[in-house]
Amino acid sequence: MSRKLVIDPVTRIEGHGKVTIQLDDDNNVTDAKLHVVEFRGFEKLIQGHPYWEAPMLLQRICGICFVSHHLCGAKALDDMVGVGLGSGIPMLPTAEKVRRLGHYAQQLQSHVTAYFYLVVPEMLFGMDAPPEQRNVLGLVEQNPALVKRVVALRKWGQELIRTVLGKRMHGISSVPGGVSKNISLEERDRFLNGEEGLLSIDEVIEYAQEGLKLFYEFHGQHREQVDSFAVVPSLDMCLVNDEGNVDYYHGRIRILDEDKRIVREFDYHDYLEHFSEATEEWSYMKFPFLKDLGREKGSVRVGPLARMNVTKTLSTPLAQAALEKFHAYTGGKSNNMTLHTNWARAIEIIHSAELIKELLHDPDLQNEQLLMTPADNAWTGEGIGVVEAPRGTLLHHYRADRSGSISFANLIVSTTQNNSVINRTVRSVAQDYISGKAEITEGMMNAIEVGIRAYDPCLSCATHALGQMPLEISLFNAEGQIVDAQRR
Amino acid sequence: MHSAVEPARLSLADLSHDDCLIYGIGNVGRQDDGLGWAFVDWLEVAGLCVDAERVRNYQLFLEDADLISSKQKVLFIDATRSPEVSTFSLYRARAELDFSFTSHAISIPSIIATCQLCFERQPEVYVLAIRGYEWELQEGLTIAAKSNLDAAIAHFSAELTETHSGPATRKG
Repeated sequence: MSRKLVIDPVTRIEGHGKVTIQLDDDNNVTDAKLHVVEFRGFEKLIQGHPYWEAPMLLQRICGICFVSHHLCGAKALDDMVGVGLGSGIPMLPTAEKVRRLGHYAQQLQSHVTAYFYLVVPEMLFGMDAPPEQRNVLGLVEQNPALVKRVVALRKWGQELIRTVLGKRMHGISSVPGGVSKNISLEERDRFLNGEEGLLSIDEVIEYAQEGLKLFYEFHGQHREQVDSFAVVPSLDMCLVNDEGNVDYYHGRIRILDEDKRIVREFDYHDYLEHFSEATEEWSYMKFPFLKDLGREKGSVRVGPLARMNVTKTLSTPLAQAALEKFHAYTGGKSNNMTLHTNWARAIEIIHSAELIKELLHDPDLQNEQLLMTPADNAWTGEGIGVVEAPRGTLLHHYRADRSGSISFANLIVSTTQNNSVINRTVRSVAQDYISGKAEITEGMMNAIEVGIRAYDPCLSCATHALGQMPLEISLFNAEGQIVDAQRR
Repeated sequence: MHSAVEPARLSLADLSHDDCLIYGIGNVGRQDDGLGWAFVDWLEVAGLCVDAERVRNYQLFLEDADLISSKQKVLFIDATRSPEVSTFSLYRARAELDFSFTSHAISIPSIIATCQLCFERQPEVYVLAIRGYEWELQEGLTIAAKSNLDAAIAHFSAELTETHSGPATRKG
């Protein structure tokens, strides 16, 4: 009699998902799926609203990566009013740099949250540790000095976001054609030099390196487990600059295969020529893929691992040194080891901090030319924005009528891009940890979650709901009857 | 009701200093979840506790351990679903790592414990829990929740302090 295993909901991710695993008569895994069972429909909700509301309203999809949504929407509106990159018009230097500063602050803060609050407890306590220990409060108890530094890092990132975006959450500073404020010298100096209760940028960079050290220690002690856990080949995608290096705010979309050959490179404004989205009745999350390669071969991976695979170099010294080690580990091939996503994320924490330092020293931040005013006939009525959000490539596409009322919106968020590869990861972990076993243990269930969590998936963005997330597991036979159930 | 609590005596005069924090937790877009913010609104409109730092947030963050570490007295105001609280409840919260953490929520006792462990300080922390009834996507308190808020306001307005048996609970 075949059985189906259900993990519902999956814990410590943003949002709510459930996993089902189909077992055959010998308890071998025959299929595994991540179901996203909530629906919010922001693309429909925004229709009929004034175009300028889009970056303000749509960022409320998420309380974690709202800056990415805000900036992505702002880039789309730049296009729409006729002063955007889609029209070949470069942004004013100060406006672009202020936006980038907020973007890097968000990346730092989001990665620190995902890495230290969600992943590090797993590294320190082990995958089989009880859930009540395997979280950040367990870390508070075991290593309060580390948590104090992490809290200081997150606080610094949040304060920088508040300064740049105008609010601690759901900012208001990016407007069509630019930004509404620059960064004063007083504001800059707070972050450069620190003050009581606020780190200096050099302290931030020092603390930021702690994540990478933790990964190296963990990897050194558990190399076999880390390297063999869910090795999932995939195409990798991110925005790149003219040198082929990752650019978090703007660039062309580049897609590489396992041998790091360029499979596709295009202007993101042409995404509809290249991408299509499949749907499945068992999930509200869509499955994007490259049209000519088809649903499976044409799916891509985005986010830290993909970016570190695609980029040739990183522009800052500490991050570049770490990247060289990362690249050397796979001898020039793409890194498909799912848990190395945490390695990549730790590198990006350092890179974000270093990029922020560079920008804080840039006098353009104090320039007062902040906004381009479009000509009367510049209105295009359509805009597309793409940025590299912490979790990967994020796209907003809007159309509006001449009165400025939004008639169409399409969002492809990072977690949606990763949908196929996350499902392949779940299958890989299920086959390694569950196949052939007669009983499902807590450790097996958590292994599935670890695989998913490596992507730091924001199901909240992909559909969204808030959630307290207990874990429920049920076994189904081939007739769909529950033969066993557990809850924690 | 959490185990790490004890009944409290607290007046607004106790909170009228610059080393005090008054922290409303909730979401005004979720009906009675807006009770915490509504109490802070009242303080501001009435011009009370002007020297204290006032904060409104949707939820607690681990960073709040850092925030409270520089305070002497802290009052958290939150809505409660607990049927044990008929109108409102005022109690002293104690440190306890209750391992309730998700990326969306962390408890007040865990915040205090984190403050103690990481920052080696522990302010006096009080919780004003006001009973709410409806939590749907809608602005505005229900009539019953507004009545409970008014009862809490009346309690503090009169500078009343009472000791209750068990978690301090007004019976309305």
